[in-house]
Amino acid sequence: MASETGATTDRMQWGGLIRAIGTQQDRAAFASLFEYFAPRIKAFMQRSGASEAKAEELAQETMLAVWRKAGLFDPASTGAAAWIFTIARNLRIDAHRREHRGGVVETSDVEIEFQIDDSPQPDSRLAAMQSEERVRSALSKLSADQIRVVELSFFEEKAHAEIAKMLGIPLGTVKSRLRLAMSRLRTLLSELS
Amino acid sequence: MSIEHHPTDSMLAAFAAGTLDHGQHVAIATHLVYCSQCRSFMRSMEHVGGSVLTSLPPAAMSSDALAKIEARLNEPALPAAVYITPTVPETEVPRLPKFVRRYRFGNWKWIAPSVHLRPIILPYASDTRVFLLKSGPGTKMLEHTHTGIEMTCVLSGAFSQDGDHYGPGDFDLGDETVEHQPVVELGQDCVCLVAMQGELRLHGLLGRIMQPFVRL
Repeated sequence: MASETGATTDRMQWGGLIRAIGTQQDRAAFASLFEYFAPRIKAFMQRSGASEAKAEELAQETMLAVWRKAGLFDPASTGAAAWIFTIARNLRIDAHRREHRGGVVETSDVEIEFQIDDSPQPDSRLAAMQSEERVRSALSKLSADQIRVVELSFFEEKAHAEIAKMLGIPLGTVKSRLRLAMSRLRTLLSELS
Repeated sequence: MSIEHHPTDSMLAAFAAGTLDHGQHVAIATHLVYCSQCRSFMRSMEHVGGSVLTSLPPAAMSSDALAKIEARLNEPALPAAVYITPTVPETEVPRLPKFVRRYRFGNWKWIAPSVHLRPIILPYASDTRVFLLKSGPGTKMLEHTHTGIEMTCVLSGAFSQDGDHYGPGDFDLGDETVEHQPVVELGQDCVCLVAMQGELRLHGLLGRIMQPFVRL
């Protein structure tokens, strides 16, 4: 596991790369981001049930969307990895819908389905910045074990029994760890607000 | 009044992970419009999604993957989704998520004395039916259970259930184990968005008589 400093540096680097794409169409920055994220997005898609070819295609599409949307990236409101994750997630949902519509291609609506209309306030930028920091700070207080069960359960959609087997811990521990992680996060977020 | 009843943490995590059924997504999104606390919890789950991405063992891309994408960087992007004016004005349905107000709404229909239902037609296949339910002040809903999960988010007015008050933004979850008998509070109509999986089971004599007619 990377040290906290290492992780922070990475985060800042990725944010900087996205900004370089957004402001100067920096292709070298894009290549670095691609090298790091594309294989991981592909892995994520495969774990969500996509075939290897489909996963590769979705990783490509995600990175193309990163290039096109880079100008909209706001490091104050989202972390780089979380931002890329949401793009990948939306494309995955979109691909799933297209499959189930027999290949009829329509304009995607997924992105706006995740935009929760906050009433725009003059201090919304500040609020966004604070919320980004709050989220980071709360997450940093969870243990790696706690984060792992959350990841496996919700993002890799593993059943509790499967998680128990993978991590070599009893089923009861998986359930209690998951519950603790979520309630701790809730408490931390409300304390920090 | 502040929001007292929230979706479970697991539902918010599934929302952020993008694994919810579309009808349920609509119900959670509606609660999120009202509840900043759950919004920040959901956003924190998107960060967990980000950390999932960075912690997965990479799956090798084919050797020409980057070159193929670089060749496409100058392509003009597809035009952004055209914003369609919501079919349902805000005044008629308070505080639904914007994307939901763009959906096609059916007409209000009478389903029981002082209870009306308005279907929301989802553009994607979903196991969950979504509708608005409007009940007059003082309406006592028939005691019922569900064959699947039912999510309810109050939009206006209020109801009480088991001594708890449910006002705008409050979220209620029902499943086959929960017997519901909400009572609409006095003063005004109560409008809720409901996402319902499976069928409604009405209890009591009146319920059994009405069951064949009330296919929700």
